Formats: sequence, structure tokens, C-alpha cells
Amino acid sequence: MLLFLTLVSAALVAIAPQSQAIVIYTGWERHALVGSEIRLSCSFFSWRWTSEDVTFSWNYRPDGSRDGISIFHFTGGLPYLDNKGPFRDRLEFVGNPQRRDGSILIKNLDFNDNGTFTCDAKNPPDIVGRPSSVRLLVFDKLPVQAGVITGAIIGAVLGLLVLIVVIYYLMRFLVARRVFSLSVSKHGKKGKGKEGSQQRQGPALYAAMDQSKLKASASEKKKQESRKDKK
Amino acid sequence: MCPPIPQGTMSGLGCEAGYFLSAISEGARADHYNFSAVTMLVLLGGIFLIHVTTIILLLVATIDNAWWFTDTISTDVWGRWIKANGVWNLTDIPDFYPQEYLQAVQATTVLSCIFSILGLFVFVAQLFTLAKGQRFTFSGIFQLIACLCIMIAASIYTDIFHRKENDGWYGHSFILAWISFVLTFISSIIYFVLRKKTA
Repeated sequence: MLLFLTLVSAALVAIAPQSQAIVIYTGWERHALVGSEIRLSCSFFSWRWTSEDVTFSWNYRPDGSRDGISIFHFTGGLPYLDNKGPFRDRLEFVGNPQRRDGSILIKNLDFNDNGTFTCDAKNPPDIVGRPSSVRLLVFDKLPVQAGVITGAIIGAVLGLLVLIVVIYYLMRFLVARRVFSLSVSKHGKKGKGKEGSQQRQGPALYAAMDQSKLKASASEKKKQESRKDKK
Repeated sequence: MCPPIPQGTMSGLGCEAGYFLSAISEGARADHYNFSAVTMLVLLGGIFLIHVTTIILLLVATIDNAWWFTDTISTDVWGRWIKANGVWNLTDIPDFYPQEYLQAVQATTVLSCIFSILGLFVFVAQLFTLAKGQRFTFSGIFQLIACLCIMIAASIYTDIFHRKENDGWYGHSFILAWISFVLTFISSIIYFVLRKKTA
């Protein structure tokens, strides 16, 4: 039975990935300040185990240009960085290929680095896949993201409102409980003779505190009814 | 408990309204009840109408991108409509707008709408749960907060944006924002002053 199950699962593992492709993940857009450094992350998903011949390539296409140039390649277990192009001496490989991470670090950013970076990863024999691109935007002053302040203000005010409502009802509840326990202890000390009248007072007080508005309006209506009946 | 409502009155209006209407239909015997019941109903109806009007004005001021007009654009606070070749296109607000102030205006207009709508629900709830002689404080507080928020939004917008531009004029959303500031203020004052005359 066990042998049969392992055979079936092995067959499934062998067959299924034929229809799947390698999926590469990078960011969508990255913002950075001039002179700072940025880490461009790239990872992939593949049904196969990570092979020893896994490769990563990074390609850079400047804004407004139609062609890209290759700036990074990892193959045969070794990284090869750009040593002739715009990123020479500024690139560093900070990824871990065995953990499917092919990230690079670009230092000392400049306005000329605005552009699209494309990561392509291959995990033999799983090589069919779409490369993924991340857009780099370099600013001299980081702008506020759209809607961050808006959401913060709205969230803070509404949260404050909820907090105030909760505290208000908590206070009412605690005060009512305290009054109830006080009246109960009072009734307990005074003895049997006055038990009857006191008993009615305690819960009535508690009920009055807790549902004062409803009870008051109901009693008011009763009074008005009796007044009307008298007329 | 409510008194039994005679047939012919509207059902589903709640105990109070049914009581008012039965008092009216009862005739000459309770004349002063007649008067106060009718005026109470009219007053409540008027206040409800003012409140609904302020909600509508606030919604228009918040949602419609029409705070500032020129011949070709209709802009703020969420986007900019640009007229090109007779066709209106929605584009992003340009980058030179001070982002913090713009987002503050967005947030406060949305908050004023939220508080005004909450205030309406609170008013309807207080109508049925308030004891006789008590004021509609919570509804008044919500309308006051909505008034504060829209005042902040309109003031920031007036002071910060389009100060140096001479070729445009303020649009209907801007005007409605200021009008709803006045209306919410009046409405909250009425809520604070009004007492529930009959149970």
C-alpha cells in the first residue's frame, strides 16, 4: 500500500509540472532618494526542487530608451556583476540562489538610474516563464504616498470615537454595578423587618441606572395615561 | 407601553408619531395636546429635512471634483477633469499640490460626511428612546463635529490652494462646502436647544 502511494505521488510530481511554468516575483515600483542605495528583490516559484544550475539575470532599460542592457548574471554558482556599464562598482549581489532569492543591491543612486529592471530566473529543467519587471524612481525628496495621510486621519478620528463610546458605556456599567452592590449591602445590614421595601429598591435602582431612558419614558407614559383617564 | 393606536393611522412610524396622530384625531377635547403635537411633528419634520439636506450637500462637496474651475479644467479634491477636444478626461492631481494639505482636505470632508450620517441615525434613535424634557445632545454633538470637520476642510482649501491663480473661479463643491458648514452649525444649535416636548 505504502509503495503504491509513493509511486502515485512520484508520478504526479513528475507529470504535473509539465503544465506549470516558473513564476518570477519582483516588486512593481520602487522609490529611492538620490545618493541612497536600493535592494531590488527577485524570487521565483517553481514546482521543481532548486537545481544546482539555477540562473538569475537582471536587465536594465533606462526611461525613454527602447533597448536594455544586461547588468547581472548568476550562473554555475557564481555571480557576474556589471563591470563596463552604468552600474560598474555600484552593484552587489545580496541574494541566496539556493533559497530562490536573486536580489541585487545598487548603491549611490543617481537620477540617470531611473528605469525598468527586469529579472529573469531559470530553474532547469523548469525554464519556461515570464520575466518580471520593477520600475525604479529616484527622487531628491520622497513624496508622500497618495492616501496615507487621509487614511491615517480618518482612522484616528473614528478610532477615537469608538474608544469614547466604549469608555462611556463601561463607565455607566461600572457605576451601575457599584450602586447595586452598595444597595444590596445596605439591605443586608438593616435586617428582616425592612427587607421587603429595601428589596424592591435595590434592583429598581440598578434597573433605573441601566435602562433609565426606556423605563423613564415608559413610566412617564403610564403617568400621562392615568392623567388622561382622570380627565 | 404606548396607548392603543386607532385604525387609520400610519403603522411603522413608531409609538410617538402614532400617539401624536391619535391625539390629533381625538378632536377638541385635548386642544393644547393638538397644538403641541402638530407643532412637534412639523418641527421634527423640518429638522429631519435640514439634516438630510446637509448630508446631501456634504456628499456632493466631497465626491464631486468641482472645487475649482477654469475654462478647461474642473479640479479637486480627488482628481482633475481636463477638457481636451470637447471630451472630459479624468487625470491625477498634479504634483505641485502640497500633498499633506490635500490629503487633510480629503480626510476632513469624508469625516464630515460620516459624522453627519451617523448623526442622522443617532437622531432617529434618540427620537424613540429619549425621555420627556431631555435634549437631543448626541445628535447635536455629531452635527457639531461634522460642522467642525467641513470648516477645517473648507478653510484649508481656501487658504492654501489656488491662491495665485487668477484665471479660474471656485466651483459648486466649494460653495456647497461652506453652505453645509452654516447648515450643520444651525442644525446642531437646534438639536442642543430642542427639548422633547411629549413622551
